[in-house]
Formats: sequence, structure tokens, C-alpha cells
Amino acid sequence: MNDALSPPVQLSARHLTRHFKTRVPGRLFDAKRVVHAVDDVSLNLVQGRVTAVVGESGSGKSVLARMLARIVAPTSGELMLEGTPIRIGAKRTLDYASKVQLVLQDPFASTNPVHRIRHSLERPLLIHGAAKGDVEELAKAALTRVSLDPPERFLDRYPHELSGGQLQRVSIARALCVQPDVLLADEPISMLDVSVRLGILNLLKGLCDDERLAILYITHDIASARYLADEIIVMYAGQVVERSRGTALVDEPTHPYTQLLISSVPDPSDPTSQATHRPERTTFEVAEVGCRFAPRCPAAMDVCRTTDPPNFQIRDGHVSKCWLYADRPEAVVEVALPERRREGESTKT
Amino acid sequence: MSTDPLEMDEAVTTPTLAPLSAHSEFVLEIKNFSVDYGVSDNMVRAVNDVSLNLRRSKVLGIAGESGSGKSTLVYAMTRLLRSPGVISGGEVMLNVTSESDEKIEETIDLVTASEKELRKIRWSHVSIVLQSALSALNPVLRIGKEFDEVLKTHRKKMTKVERHNRAKELLKMVGLNEDRLDRFPHELSGGQRQRIMIAIALALDPELVIMDEPTTALDVVTQREIINELDVLRSRFGFAMIFITHDLSLLVELADEIVVMYAGEIVERAGASELYESPRHPYTLGLLNSFPPLHGARLELDGIPGSPPDLADLPTGCNFSPRCPFVMDRCRTEAPPLTRLGESDRAVACWLHAGDSPRQVPVELARRVPRSTPAVATLKGRS
Repeated sequence: MNDALSPPVQLSARHLTRHFKTRVPGRLFDAKRVVHAVDDVSLNLVQGRVTAVVGESGSGKSVLARMLARIVAPTSGELMLEGTPIRIGAKRTLDYASKVQLVLQDPFASTNPVHRIRHSLERPLLIHGAAKGDVEELAKAALTRVSLDPPERFLDRYPHELSGGQLQRVSIARALCVQPDVLLADEPISMLDVSVRLGILNLLKGLCDDERLAILYITHDIASARYLADEIIVMYAGQVVERSRGTALVDEPTHPYTQLLISSVPDPSDPTSQATHRPERTTFEVAEVGCRFAPRCPAAMDVCRTTDPPNFQIRDGHVSKCWLYADRPEAVVEVALPERRREGESTKT
Repeated sequence: MSTDPLEMDEAVTTPTLAPLSAHSEFVLEIKNFSVDYGVSDNMVRAVNDVSLNLRRSKVLGIAGESGSGKSTLVYAMTRLLRSPGVISGGEVMLNVTSESDEKIEETIDLVTASEKELRKIRWSHVSIVLQSALSALNPVLRIGKEFDEVLKTHRKKMTKVERHNRAKELLKMVGLNEDRLDRFPHELSGGQRQRIMIAIALALDPELVIMDEPTTALDVVTQREIINELDVLRSRFGFAMIFITHDLSLLVELADEIVVMYAGEIVERAGASELYESPRHPYTLGLLNSFPPLHGARLELDGIPGSPPDLADLPTGCNFSPRCPFVMDRCRTEAPPLTRLGESDRAVACWLHAGDSPRQVPVELARRVPRSTPAVATLKGRS
């Protein structure tokens, strides 16, 4: 792994944390509870790589995407865009928005139904300072990039005239038209028809491979993460429980939660998924002390209920936050991803 | 036969109850069933000439994307479809055992049944679980009240205490604590709410339960738990089930027989493992290849090109022809009928499998089902 050869880190997050204060149900005054939506998550979005974040609803993956897009301010942590630290409390600048773009889950909700596609594409261009005479050409170019061909056919349509897959391509085009370096895709395929999902995944893959975008792909579908991602991060209750480069995490899951997640996926090609791996009833409790997964964990030990496990290194680039691997060396996330840490340092200096 | 459901109540004067001497093999028989939205010029045919049979205690899976007519089919079939949906033809015969002491088998045509007859059938013989449990449960009623109302309406002789006990029993059946009866829907998780919907659907011991995407809004772990739960409940109570979903791989695990719908028509019907091992319709093949695998090498998958069909603007000939990789001239002019393949019980609507097809059946669609070796062998070999 050579410093010169490894691609640059576009967006880097360190110890990103977001807490929400809520009331305890049934008690109107005082008693406040803090929900740890995202707890100490670090990740690097690297040029030309797809990083996938997998988790069930409520795991904090969407809050993470919104913090990276700076729509939600982190409670603590650091963000670095191309090596430049971003002041957490500061307002999001236009410059940041032109580098980091977010694509949301439901394209029908994220495009304005009373405006034509043209409007959705040209407005961000104008806001980001494109000349009025150029915007149509730029909008057409963006539509061509997402394989909506010929673009003239789509510019003057309304969102309801397009199918879900086409409209999701439009919202990706809208994100692309300001020439971002980082694309955050929050469940971009889960609302779409099965037959067009792969088309969108292949489009993201193409943007990553051919145009060297850094992509964060958020999903609850671990099979699609395996299909697309260069790095997979599994989140549970706001924490990263397992992460690996490549598909190691899916092929040889080590954390009991990842194992549960994978064995739950309907998989007709694997009869054992139906016969033996069927998980027992699980509770939905999140532990306040110790490992957050302990109440649901089939392998929970005494130590799990008292002490929060650190990250253990399974192998190079594969980290699991579970006491089962206490014999392995402890890993700091940055250490687990060596070539990226070096990049992080080089940008700092 | 074609009538507006509202008109029908007055039109039908003679009840269509016909006692059967023999115990019918099928709980549900649908013949040439069609459903339209709107009338005359703006009419869209959402379900076109669908015929289906469902054996007792079996699971029929209906797979299809949005707009394929799968939900319209079950809503129309149970006469729950609202205007502008109109049943424009066909019959839906439901074979049920009557409530009376002698256990007489009755056959009821749901298409022509009166409101009064329907009221007797609904929930006690046929129940339905909808996709969104949050909108199916009344947000201002406690869960216990929902159970109470079902039992009060259909089991008039039950006392309040009996009803409460039955509700507790039902909750236990789906693995929930009985204290959930005092909760409101918003206090429960998505999975718990869907479990409650299933418990309510089973409250009157129906012969047929319809599940319309019951797990689509849930995450995989909860989905797995509910599917397992359904398995246990079904082997215990022996109800037949129609399970609708867009997730074909889930159906392969769950169903005995699967029909694949595209643009309101059945394009393929086969046993679950047959369909998975040896799809015969190009659309089925495309759907199966649309799910990235959990094992094996990471290969580039193509899915299905193009967009799902617009029902108001269907192509001539085969509806799938604009997206089909194996399209022939004939496909663009003539719509293929759903025909049986050889002696087997499976059927496909594709010209490739017609005897006089000019093109040889592509290898992907000609895979044989291995008789002795289990399903996995061929797949492992393939990947």
C-alpha cells in the first residue's frame, strides 16, 4: 500500500456523535431521556470507493448521513472535507453543499410535484452560480450522466409522469449537477420496484468507478451492500458494531448482530438459512450499560452486560465490537484501516 | 357478469349458496377474473383474465411489482375494492364450511354475493392483513378493543370475559405479552403491530388468510421472525394463505405455489422451488436475477432494463416485449396466452415456449428441475 497510490479521502468523520433529548413517555415535566442516535462513528469517504452503512430502522444510519450532509449538527465529533476541518456548529456553506450532496429515499417526496424536472435541475445550478444561459445544457448533461436519454424527453415532464426508477435517476442527476465530490445516498433503492433497483445500483457503481466520486451508500439490505461496497459498516443502536473492507463482513460475519442480520435475509439458495439458522424471538431492548446488543444477543456473557466492548481486530481491515473476540488485539478504527489513516495524516500535515 | 359492486346488491335476489356433497379440494377458485379502473375511454384494466386455484392449507404466493395488479386482485376478489375499481368479469368461488353444527360445505361466488352474505364470510372465513399495520389499527383505540370488536360482531354468544380471554390467548399465540391489550398502537413497534394484525386475522379461525405485503415495511430481522411465526401458526391451524409481495426470494421460501404477475396478467405459475430453479418466463428470470446474492463471487448483475409498464399505455402483443431480452417479432404483435407446459402443473405466457417458436428456448429458460438432487446443487454449480 503506497501513499502515493492510495486515493485521497474526500470526507472524513471522526467520533461523530448525535444525542437527542426526549421526554420520558407519560411524564410531562423534568424527566428527560437522551437518545444516543449516533455514538462515536468514524469513517472516511474515499474517492472512487463506495462505503456502505447497513442497519435496521432506528440504528442511526440516516442521522449519520444527515450529519455528513450537515443538515443535522453533531453533538460532538469532527468533520474534515478534503483535509480541511469543518467547524461543527457553523452554518453549512454553499461551498460545502456543492462538494457533498445527499440523495434521499423516496424520489416522489424529494422532488417538487408542481414543478417540471427542468426546475428541479436548474434551480440548484442557479443557486450554485451557473450562468443563466448555461443551465439548460448543464441540466441536460446531468440527465445524460444518469442514463436518461434523450434528456429533452425528460426536462419538461412533471415528477408524476415518470416512474419511480426514472425519478430516482433525476434526483441523482440533481445531486450531480453541482459537480460534488461526495454523494450520500440514503436508502436510494428501497422505495423502488425490484426490477429497476439493480439499474440504480449499477449507476452508483459507475459514478464511483468512472467519475471517481466518493459514495456513502446507506441501506438495510446487506446483500445490496455486498454487491456495491468497498467497505461495509454495520450499525446497531447508533454504534458501529462491525466493519470490514471488501465483503469479508458478509462472507464471514463475526459480530452476533451481523450474523443475525445475514441469517434473516431470505436466501433460497441456502437451505440452512431456512432450517437451522432461524433466529429465536428477540427483544427490542437496547441496553444502557454494557454492550447495547446484549439483551438480544444469543452469545451474551456476563462481561457484555457490564462493560461496553471495545473494537477488536479480526484481521487487517476487519473490526468487530464484541467481547467474543477479546483474544484479538484491540483496534482503533483508524488503525484498522491503515492506508486511509496514512492519508488522513498526510492531509493534516 | 360485469357489474358495479354497488348495483349488485339489488340485482342479486337469489343467494348463490350451493351445498356440496364432496369436500372440495380447493378453498378458492378464481376463473377469468378481470378488474378495471374507471369506465369507457379512461378505463385501465388492472387485472386481466386471471384464473387461480388455491388448495386447502396451502400457501399461494403472488409476486409482482407495483402496478402489476396483485393488490387489486385480492381487494376485488374479497369485494373490498372501492370505486373507480370495477369487477368486469369472471367468478371467485369460495368453498367454506358453514358455521352451523352439521358442518355443511358451501360454495359462494364472491363476485355476486350480497352485502349480507359477504358480512358472514368476511373475517370468519376470509381475513386480511394489510401492509401498514399503523393505518389498519385505530390510533385512538386500545389494542384490546380491536379484538373485542371483532369477537363481539361475529361471536354474539361470547361474554365479555370470554372475549377478553380469547384476546389474551390470541396474543400469546403470536408471541406477545397479554399486557399489550391495554396499549395504544403508537406504543408498539412495527413488528409488534404486524403481529397484532395477524392475531386479529386469526381470531375467528378463518380458512383463508390474505397477506398483502405484511413484512415490506419491516426490517429483515423482524420479517424473519414474523415469517417463522406464520409457519408455526399455519401448521397448527391449517389455514390457506395468499401471500403478496414483491420479494420473490421470500416467496420461494414461504409459498407452495407462486404466480408471477406483470401488467395485470399472470405470466408464470409454478411450484415454488420449480420457479426458482427453472424459471420459464423472461420476466421471472429477470426478477430472480435482480436480487444480489449473499454468497459467491461478486458478479455484475443486469436486472431488467426499462421501466415497469404504464397500464394506460400498454404495448401491443406481449406486455413484457419492450423489456424482454429474448423478444421475437411475434411478441410485438400477438399476446401470448398462459399455457401449460407439457404435463406439469406449471404454466407460462411466453411465445418462446410455444411449440412452433422460431427461436430455440434460451438455455436460461430451459433449465431442468433436478428430480433427486436437492435445489442447492444446481445453484452452487452455477455460481
